[in-house]
Amino acid sequence: MIIAYVGVSQARHNALMQAAQPVPNIVETSAMIDTGASGSCIDPTILNQLGLTPTGSISVNTPTTGGQPQLVSQYDVSLMIPCAPGHAPLMHLTIPVIQSDLLTAQGFHALIGRDVLSGCLLTYDGRSGLFTLAY
Amino acid sequence: MALEKEVATYNAKLPELLANEGKYVLIHADAVVDVYGTYEDAIKEGYARFRLSPFLVKQIQSVEQIHFISRFLDCHTSPVK
Repeated sequence: MIIAYVGVSQARHNALMQAAQPVPNIVETSAMIDTGASGSCIDPTILNQLGLTPTGSISVNTPTTGGQPQLVSQYDVSLMIPCAPGHAPLMHLTIPVIQSDLLTAQGFHALIGRDVLSGCLLTYDGRSGLFTLAY
Repeated sequence: MALEKEVATYNAKLPELLANEGKYVLIHADAVVDVYGTYEDAIKEGYARFRLSPFLVKQIQSVEQIHFISRFLDCHTSPVK
């Protein structure tokens, strides 16, 4: 589990400014790194806080779809994963994410999928129960 | 479903869009605006042209890529037609 910061995309930020509308604050969220997810996912509670509307539609298969792909809304967001002091964070100014209820009872609101991990080095030390994420 | 009209436009225009397979198409209502090399460029142009009105950005694919998520999730879905 890591901390991630989710906000409106840079392009939406600019559109909101031009429309003289307030830009929602970046939301701090607990995120689960999930190599079993081909795309990153965000809980609707986060998307609602950011006032987002969908800008995409993709097909997704999960254990809950019963083997039948489903059309799912996609949103453009900015995503930042902080790093140790003195190091640059992982920053995506515009990245598509999938809207999905992320089992709030498990204590996280985002899944960091392989779309983000494809730009990182993820090391899992099973013996010590630790992982490192380098970017 | 959100963007229903734009998705229908994508499906209708897909045969001619396939010349740009792998790129990203920007669609507003029943109009194909243009094709872009990156997702970021398409989104940027979408907001520049349509501000906060609905628009669709979708990667052009002859066979729709299916994303897999191994976790139990409710994705607010509708069946693929």
